[in-house]
Amino acid sequence: MHKEAAIREPLILGDDVTYSKISDDVLATIEGKTTKGWKILMTIAAIVGLWGVGNILYLIGTGIGTWGLNKTVGWAWDITNFVWWVGIGHAGTLISAVLLLFRQKWRMAINRPAEAMTIFAVFMAGLFPMIHMGRIWMAYWVLPLPNEFGPMWVNFNSPLLWDVFAISTYMSVSLVFWYIGLIPDFATIRDRAKSPVPKLMYSLLSFGWTGNAKAWQRFEEVSLVLAGLATPLVFSVHSIVSMDFATSVIPGWHTTIFPPYFVAGAVFSGFAMVQTLMIIVRKVMHLEKYVTIKHIEYMNIIIIVTGSIVGVAYLTELFISWYSGVEYESYAFINRFSGPYAWAYWCMMTCNVISPHLFWWKKLRTNLAFTFVMSIIVNIGMWFERFVIIVTSVHRDYLPSSWSMFYPTWVDIGVFIGTLGLFSVFYLLFLRYFPVLALNELKTILKSSGEKYKNMSDEDFKKLHPVKK
Amino acid sequence: MANSKKYWKGLEQLNNDPKFLESVNNEFPEELPIDKFLGDNETLENSTTSRRDFLKYLGFGVAAASLAACETPVTKAIPYITKPEEITPGKANYYASTYFDGNDFAPILVKTREGRPIHVTGNKESKLTNGAINARVAGSVLSLYDNNRYKNPMMGGNVTDWKTIDAAIKKDLAAAKNVRVLTASLVSPSTTHALSKSLGVKVYDENGNFKGIKIDNFIQLDEISYSGMLDANMASFGVRAIPTYNFEKAKTIVSVGADFMGNWLDTPMYLNDYAQTRKPDNDWMSKHFQFEANMSLSGTNADVRVPVKPSEYAAILANIYKQLGGSIDAPKTNYDAQIANAVKSLKAAKGASIVVAGNNDKDTQLIVNGINQILGNYGNTIDMNTVSKTKAGDDAKVEALIAEMNEGKVDVLAIYGVDPVFSLGEKFKAALGKVKSTISFATKANETSKACKYVCPDNHLFESWNDYNPVSNYYTIQQPTISPLFNTRQVQESCLVWAGNEDTSYYNFIKETWKNTFASELVLTPFNDFWNKAVHDGEVKMNVETGVASFNSEALAGIKVSNKPFAGDFELEITQNAAVGAGAGADNPWLQETPDPITKITWDNYVTMNPAEMKERGYNTQLGQESPANMISVTANGVTIENMPVVAQPGQARGTMGIAVGYGKVVGSMAEPTGKNAYPLVGRSATGAAYYVGATIAEVSGTYPIAATQTHQTVMGRSSVVRETTLATYKQGDKDAYNPEHKLVTHEKGEFIKKNIKEFDLWKEHPVENIGHRWGMSIDMNTCIGCSACVTACISENNVPVVGKDEVRRGREMHWMRIDRYYSTDADTEDKSIAGYRKMEDPADNPQVVHQPMMCQHCNHAGCETVCPVAATTHSNEGLNMMAYNRCIGTRYCANNCAYKVRRFNWFNYLAYDKFTEINPAQDDLGRMVLNPDVVVRARGVMEKCSMCVQRIQAGKLDAKKASTKVQDGAIQTACSGACPTNAITFGDLNDTESKINGDMNHNRAYRVIEEVGQQPNIYYLTKVRNLENNEA
Repeated sequence: MHKEAAIREPLILGDDVTYSKISDDVLATIEGKTTKGWKILMTIAAIVGLWGVGNILYLIGTGIGTWGLNKTVGWAWDITNFVWWVGIGHAGTLISAVLLLFRQKWRMAINRPAEAMTIFAVFMAGLFPMIHMGRIWMAYWVLPLPNEFGPMWVNFNSPLLWDVFAISTYMSVSLVFWYIGLIPDFATIRDRAKSPVPKLMYSLLSFGWTGNAKAWQRFEEVSLVLAGLATPLVFSVHSIVSMDFATSVIPGWHTTIFPPYFVAGAVFSGFAMVQTLMIIVRKVMHLEKYVTIKHIEYMNIIIIVTGSIVGVAYLTELFISWYSGVEYESYAFINRFSGPYAWAYWCMMTCNVISPHLFWWKKLRTNLAFTFVMSIIVNIGMWFERFVIIVTSVHRDYLPSSWSMFYPTWVDIGVFIGTLGLFSVFYLLFLRYFPVLALNELKTILKSSGEKYKNMSDEDFKKLHPVKK
Repeated sequence: MANSKKYWKGLEQLNNDPKFLESVNNEFPEELPIDKFLGDNETLENSTTSRRDFLKYLGFGVAAASLAACETPVTKAIPYITKPEEITPGKANYYASTYFDGNDFAPILVKTREGRPIHVTGNKESKLTNGAINARVAGSVLSLYDNNRYKNPMMGGNVTDWKTIDAAIKKDLAAAKNVRVLTASLVSPSTTHALSKSLGVKVYDENGNFKGIKIDNFIQLDEISYSGMLDANMASFGVRAIPTYNFEKAKTIVSVGADFMGNWLDTPMYLNDYAQTRKPDNDWMSKHFQFEANMSLSGTNADVRVPVKPSEYAAILANIYKQLGGSIDAPKTNYDAQIANAVKSLKAAKGASIVVAGNNDKDTQLIVNGINQILGNYGNTIDMNTVSKTKAGDDAKVEALIAEMNEGKVDVLAIYGVDPVFSLGEKFKAALGKVKSTISFATKANETSKACKYVCPDNHLFESWNDYNPVSNYYTIQQPTISPLFNTRQVQESCLVWAGNEDTSYYNFIKETWKNTFASELVLTPFNDFWNKAVHDGEVKMNVETGVASFNSEALAGIKVSNKPFAGDFELEITQNAAVGAGAGADNPWLQETPDPITKITWDNYVTMNPAEMKERGYNTQLGQESPANMISVTANGVTIENMPVVAQPGQARGTMGIAVGYGKVVGSMAEPTGKNAYPLVGRSATGAAYYVGATIAEVSGTYPIAATQTHQTVMGRSSVVRETTLATYKQGDKDAYNPEHKLVTHEKGEFIKKNIKEFDLWKEHPVENIGHRWGMSIDMNTCIGCSACVTACISENNVPVVGKDEVRRGREMHWMRIDRYYSTDADTEDKSIAGYRKMEDPADNPQVVHQPMMCQHCNHAGCETVCPVAATTHSNEGLNMMAYNRCIGTRYCANNCAYKVRRFNWFNYLAYDKFTEINPAQDDLGRMVLNPDVVVRARGVMEKCSMCVQRIQAGKLDAKKASTKVQDGAIQTACSGACPTNAITFGDLNDTESKINGDMNHNRAYRVIEEVGQQPNIYYLTKVRNLENNEA
């Protein structure tokens, strides 16, 4: 048995943690009774979600005019929300795929909830390109389906079409990856289940997992393959989303820096969202032993790094707009920070560029309350980043005669709030019925990184695990 | 061996049963109860149904049911029994006709499809206007299909029939001693004749013999009065008439408050002539000075515009008169330099200049006459012999009529062509109540007709025959293009009926009148030939020498000119907006939604004020969706209009305000009138209506939303959007000085070279250059005056939905073409810093103005085409950017990526959504008749935009193909180019080297908007050239 260097801080805290305790702790919510708190939260989330669904139905029934868009600003909250949700999704894949390839063991405590977040965030994201269409009932025309409409085929030049492929690929790979990881855990629940209905449900979900060595070996292999597949997706999806803007002619959109800048921004916002969720989940579900302060700190460090990349990107953009000498380009950026939407720009700058640097202080980055507040700030900042890019570029482009402002309507707001509600509904269902942490994976690091075993003397450890000669 | 076996049908046959033998000769062995069955109802009901009957019923039932199910019943389309010769479904017919509404006069061409008039353009062959129209005329066709029209005669507010109302009116007329007729200017000789038959005063000699009919009791009323000018001409020339102006010959034009391009007198007669003098490539270009308070359309086009107060107009004219050598006591003004400049230019153009003034004031107009006389303009640019008859109102007579009515002396008052309760106000309404019997000929319910006892609704002008004599020796014909839609009757026929001529149709009556009028012409030509040609051409011009009116200079003696400011906080100039006019457009949604060419505001009238003065008072000077206007109450002549929004108008003279009339009409069932009626503010007296009055204002709390289509006022120093120069620079001939090419530095063969932007290309060229057709357009910014006739014509041609004030305010008007209006700024446009840009946002105090028509640029490398995920917008092999509505899924990516922002999205279902029921005529069965059947009506959720009238291109190509010729240059006109009164818009084939557009494309002034972005548009703009010296402001 491999034993990690003592200098590394343990990833599982507590002297009493055993394999069965891990199962007990993680599965407590599934096997226990529905708590009052969950019911209250679920009710609120469901109401908000239904409110959003109602808004969407009203939107589809009446027309896009129920949003605040106009002849100049053709996209605003819709695509802002789309990019924001897609960005949030990135953390999950990054954690489970990239950190897997890099053998980062600390990922094991957070990959499941982060991936669940990814899946649900991509659901929400995918909603917006659908409902933002004027004729959603024709949405299937974006698929290259053989048809009898004559020579009608999709336009492969359009970045919006690339989006269709990027998002759907991302969605399916993430879903498969997540589900494969869930199978052994479902089997554990199945084996522990006492009443027949859950037993049946979980046995169906676990695809007849037996847990023999061959199964585990295949499981590991398939995880690696999927991680290999998902890793490029982490970079491709947001790069392609950014090309919706980068390939256009609109000053402020037409920027080659967008792909890396968007990816960094996505990871940045994704980790912030993981923080928001995990700080609550670990507390409420008593998982502090597994999702430790150390985990929180690691993620905060990633936030500093990606936040700095984003900050550099912002400044580069500004510099290049001036350096290019292009009148429209430089005006677009002057307008961003000094025009009618300067408040949004400075809100973005404060939240995304200045505030993450507070995490350089260890005291702050290991402080739960502070981290929680910061994670919210970063997500507000990232929402504004997309709003600033989309609206402030297009609201004042080439011909000043068409310059206008964008004012959201209650439907704009309702749909956005509604997706937060729907997301919460999905996430609460996940917390209640799915193994929140990858318990079987956690068990693999208990002895190498568990506090109890780390603090053990080598003799004791050898006694516990005698090496056969 | 033959088979000789015999088969029997039954035992009966074998046995030779007598019953059988009897029946064998019958076709039906049983007797059928047909007679019994069909004989009468009783037996039918009591009859027994035989097996055969049952089968018959069954068979018939099945057949009938399946036949009935085959086709949905056609409920509305009725095919021709006999197809009229000239109507071919799918093919448009054009009829020359005339538009006259009491204010605007224009010879027009009416396009009809399947018997429905759907589009109006100017009659390009007219010798009077060369086809010039304005937005009001272009939008007039919609008023034909207005559900608020009177559909039946009304008596005492109740629907009646013509017989009843005729009898009642005849009785009233017979009993009346004093009949009065209040009418718009009488331009139609036949109408005057017909009206006089029953409403005129019959004159008898001393023996009681009928001598003739006088029309002394006809009082003409122009809702916008020119009475003062007519009186001045009476004094100067002894002719109470408006002269005709020949702007084509005018090298210097000085206008003091007269908006001759927008609302003054016979605008359509001036526009084309004016445009001819604005071509910098000609030997000379006219110089246009405009002294005015409001920023008018003429002011925006002037080379030199001086903001002055209305109270100073007369003094300025007096100074010009004095400096030209006239003797007058001219008070000093603050505009010595500008006046001297104008005088210098006038002196240089003696006999080739025009001075006009907007004052409806006899004394001021006498000075104008004096100036033009000194300059020798009469007989050259101004013709007092060939006079215009479209304005003949006499304010003194109107005042006298009101007095007479108040005294109860008027027995019958017939009101034709005017809405005096609306324009003259409560005073007239009160007087109207004292008239015993009132007859209105209104086509739609208006304030006056609602107060009249009898309403004998006139046909719409597109349903009527008429003739006009707008200018001496020039006649036009108005011919019906559709049968009357409702139970209405031409006013002339009504009058003929009342005069006892029941059997004369007005059509024959006109012909009779013409036979008499043109007797001298008809010596050699048979009348029918003459008449048919007149109807075909729509006009007749006579070359008859007339006498020379002599100028009476004594009329000028003793005129006292004052420049004392008017009493009150502000001097108010009452004006009209381009689309609504004096009120003709008030109930026309197309015109209400056509933005004012200067403020770009729709669906409202408002107070215009200088922005600096507004800021001093703390009023909001910005326009925007959530940037509502402040409100004030305006009091003038003792009348207060409450809650008028105040809008910033750069160039408005300080201390002055402007308000447009024509708004505030109660239309149909709409709860609130659009805007507020400003007519009560007009000063009314026997000397003439005063449109310049002193006004006091009072602040009102609260704000008022304003719907403007353009909310940013300046071009932000973007020289590749708008290019303009001075004539001096242009004449130097250095293209780089006024229209430099866009060049990029590149590195080739070890050297840095500058290459034209056209040579850089990311993509493959569309193979359109020099192959087949390549449609394009050129827009001459020098001759475009911003009148917006093209905008309205485009709405009419392309079924553009009307979306109403609230949607326009949200920036969602659907217009396929717009006219961008930019004000110049005082800021340094080279200073591209943060502070510099901020300063550029503010227009100058007296800005120069540019009008730039903007529509889809049909880019060869269009941003919209690449981004559409479903390829709904693509490029045609004739260079057009096309839109497949059926394929569009509505992502709006194309609109975002359009650098010109010309794409329009269907935010709602404008054809059904209840928000638009009151506004969009296409939601109404009658209003839908105006839709152009060649252009599909777009569904909710799809993108639309200018198609360069592709339906007209296709039709033009077909015509050429049938004629086995190539498409002739100029044979195809888009709606906008066809409507343009100054021919500033040229459509054609860029590949046709002989075409005008090919020449324009290669012209030194030609540029493409934001060409450096590389989208390679097919629309070329020609740099605007102002007739200015380089150091002249």
